[in-house]
Amino acid sequence: MSDTVRFRVHRGLSRSEGEEGFQDFEVPLVRGMSVMDGLDYIYDHLDGSLAYYDHAACNQGICQRCLIQINGATGLMCQTLVTGDLTLEPLSTQPVERDLVTKWGRKSDG
Amino acid sequence: MKTVKADVLIVGGGGAGFRAAIASRQEGAETLLISKGPLARCGASPMAGADLTCHGVGMREAGFFGEPNDSEEKFLSDIVHQGCFLNDQVLAERFVQDGPSRMMETLDWGCQPYLCDERAIFTSGIGIVDAHLKEARRLGTRFMDDTAVLELMVQEGQVCGAIGLDLRSGERILIDCHAVILASGGWHKAYTPVTGSKELTGDGVAMAYRAGAEVANMEFVTFACNVPLWPPIWRGSIVTYAMSLMCGGTLENADGERFLDRFDPEMVEIASTTEWNKSFFSFATALEVRAGRGTEHGGVYYVKGDTPWPEFEAKALRSYPDWKVKGADFSELGRRLRDGEGVEVAGAAEYFEGGVWVDERFASTLPGLYAAGECAVSLFGANRVAAATMEMLVTGAIAGKEAADFARTHPSASPHPTTARVLDDKITKPLRNRERVDVGQLRSDLQKAAASYLGPVRCERELVDFVRSLERMQQEVLPVLGASHEGQIYNKAWIECLELENMLTVLELSARSALQRTESRGVHYREDHPFSDNDQWLREIHLSLDRGERRSAVHPVRQGSLPLPSGRIPYLTMIHDMMRSHSDVGGHH
Ligand SMILES: Cc1cc2nc3c(=O)[nH]c(=O)nc-3n(C[C@H](O)[C@H](O)[C@H](O)COP(=O)(O)OP(=O)(O)OC[C@H]3O[C@@H](n4cnc5c(N)ncnc54)[C@H](O)[C@@H]3O)c2cc1C
Ligand code: FES
Repeated sequence: MSDTVRFRVHRGLSRSEGEEGFQDFEVPLVRGMSVMDGLDYIYDHLDGSLAYYDHAACNQGICQRCLIQINGATGLMCQTLVTGDLTLEPLSTQPVERDLVTKWGRKSDG
Repeated sequence: MKTVKADVLIVGGGGAGFRAAIASRQEGAETLLISKGPLARCGASPMAGADLTCHGVGMREAGFFGEPNDSEEKFLSDIVHQGCFLNDQVLAERFVQDGPSRMMETLDWGCQPYLCDERAIFTSGIGIVDAHLKEARRLGTRFMDDTAVLELMVQEGQVCGAIGLDLRSGERILIDCHAVILASGGWHKAYTPVTGSKELTGDGVAMAYRAGAEVANMEFVTFACNVPLWPPIWRGSIVTYAMSLMCGGTLENADGERFLDRFDPEMVEIASTTEWNKSFFSFATALEVRAGRGTEHGGVYYVKGDTPWPEFEAKALRSYPDWKVKGADFSELGRRLRDGEGVEVAGAAEYFEGGVWVDERFASTLPGLYAAGECAVSLFGANRVAAATMEMLVTGAIAGKEAADFARTHPSASPHPTTARVLDDKITKPLRNRERVDVGQLRSDLQKAAASYLGPVRCERELVDFVRSLERMQQEVLPVLGASHEGQIYNKAWIECLELENMLTVLELSARSALQRTESRGVHYREDHPFSDNDQWLREIHLSLDRGERRSAVHPVRQGSLPLPSGRIPYLTMIHDMMRSHSDVGGHH
């Protein structure tokens, strides 16, 4: 049996505090996987409605658009290795759009 | 639906889009640039190494040592040989002529080089795009980011607007304009691993084709060699690609054999020291994997080879201090190479030669529609060695000026509201469809299929199967495809449903062209036709859609000053000849 880790992920259209604002997912642990790889797994296999910055992700630490709070610290989803259970929250300094997506990095108003 | 107006709409926030905006503003056109991702932080441009090439005399004019013995003629001849003579020579001439001016203005606008050779400066893709974005902004370009343009609108045979989608809010936007420049890049996301950023899904090429414009050379895809496959966090990086060119190293198959030893040593030497590396090593790697000598994740091992470690490491650290590459930490990679362990690597789609067919004004066959950069047909022909980052600037500058000129002289009527409603209906359909297909799984299957059937090595049997499965998905899956939920705010599944249509289109066009080209040339190798057939195939395959009917036409390449070769020659002999005919100018290009 392969090892799994628990991803506790913020959900919702605004910042929510407390347990009910989070959802847990079990993700198979692959050595050398990033937080982004884990979220891709959840989206592909468990819940296709999860929102995290991905539509123009560079995955190489170049665009700096995938910043979130990872276990309370600010980090890039694509460059943070998964080694154990995680709590993922939207960037604390930005208004939330949905789940883990904030207004971070948007220049125009659309 | 919100409506915005402009004279010229530019689709794409990479180097080609910014340079087109500068030229369009210089002509006085009201210019709106829409980018699917964040400005200057998406697409291929900021991911590039990057080199900017021009001939050695131009390099001297720009203040570098260059090569006094070089000339426009020599650089052109080298580019056309590298392109295996499939280049539109008139476009290639423009590239050679305009290069020095594009290089000098890039430096004037604040881009810093850190190295140079006879024909190139080496800088960063970020440095190039930031300098151009700043200039485009200074000249008064309007911008919208995180917004995808999804369909072109045509009235009385001329482009009159487009429909876009704000990917964050889900709001649709009608753009009323007189000319459109596509600068939307390639379709890297149709492959795995993805090297460009994830919004590159061939949208521009697919919407141009739907609107009736011709596309050409779609079978040619350049694969960057030596791209890591494993561990997942390294997938798609070009770090080992760049390292192999700078520091050396070699490739081993799963049996530990250094399989490059089976090729002509002169070819391996040329490929190891120039940007011929991409096509040649990706081809050699694909042969190993197809012969069953691949590694667990479908590649080969990149190892440091016979280079002594201190020498290897010193070279690596010169470009990547502390083994840091932009925001990523590769110290574990350094440790592995030092300890003689291999890194699993393979070719990964990096540059698409095919695209919207354009003439010397970078106008497509559809009046009012222009294309620049990677989404336009490449002036590099069947294989690229010189810089695509310079191509995006040269072609963007021409397209921007010409489109502004067209907008002034050919004002179009405003798009009809009924057409806008029909297109809006199409865009929102995945939100209404009941069948909640798992689009993530479909996309990931498609990426794997593209990587195996439309990689560096192709054959009829696989291409026929692939075209059939693409057509089946287009007919059976697309019409019922539904996002996993109805919300409009940052709905990834909705975005992916819309992208899937475009990826299916460009892959189908690419696979059909690859099937039709019964020869091997440049980056297109057909196992079942291992010859370069200069008598039959110095031609471009053009595809178009005419009232729903698929059309295909074959046109001779446009020749300039260089005479075309003749005869049917074994593929590797042709490549070897092309490598050897390089002029006496040094450097990596
Ligand atoms: C990893 C990597 C490294 C490379 N390194 C080099 C190098 O060292 N040297 C070199 O010469 N070449 C290199 N290349 C190739 C080169 O970077 C590209 O060919 C070039 O940057 C393309 O520029 P572009 O402006 O045409 O497209 P891109 O830079 O890809 O920009 C495309 C733009 O279009 C936008 N877009 C896409 N679809 C839509 C839509 N539907 N609506 C609105 N906007 C849209 C994207 O968001 C993006 O802003 C590299 C490519 C890759 C992937
Ligand atoms: S996705 Fe670009 S830095 Fe993480």
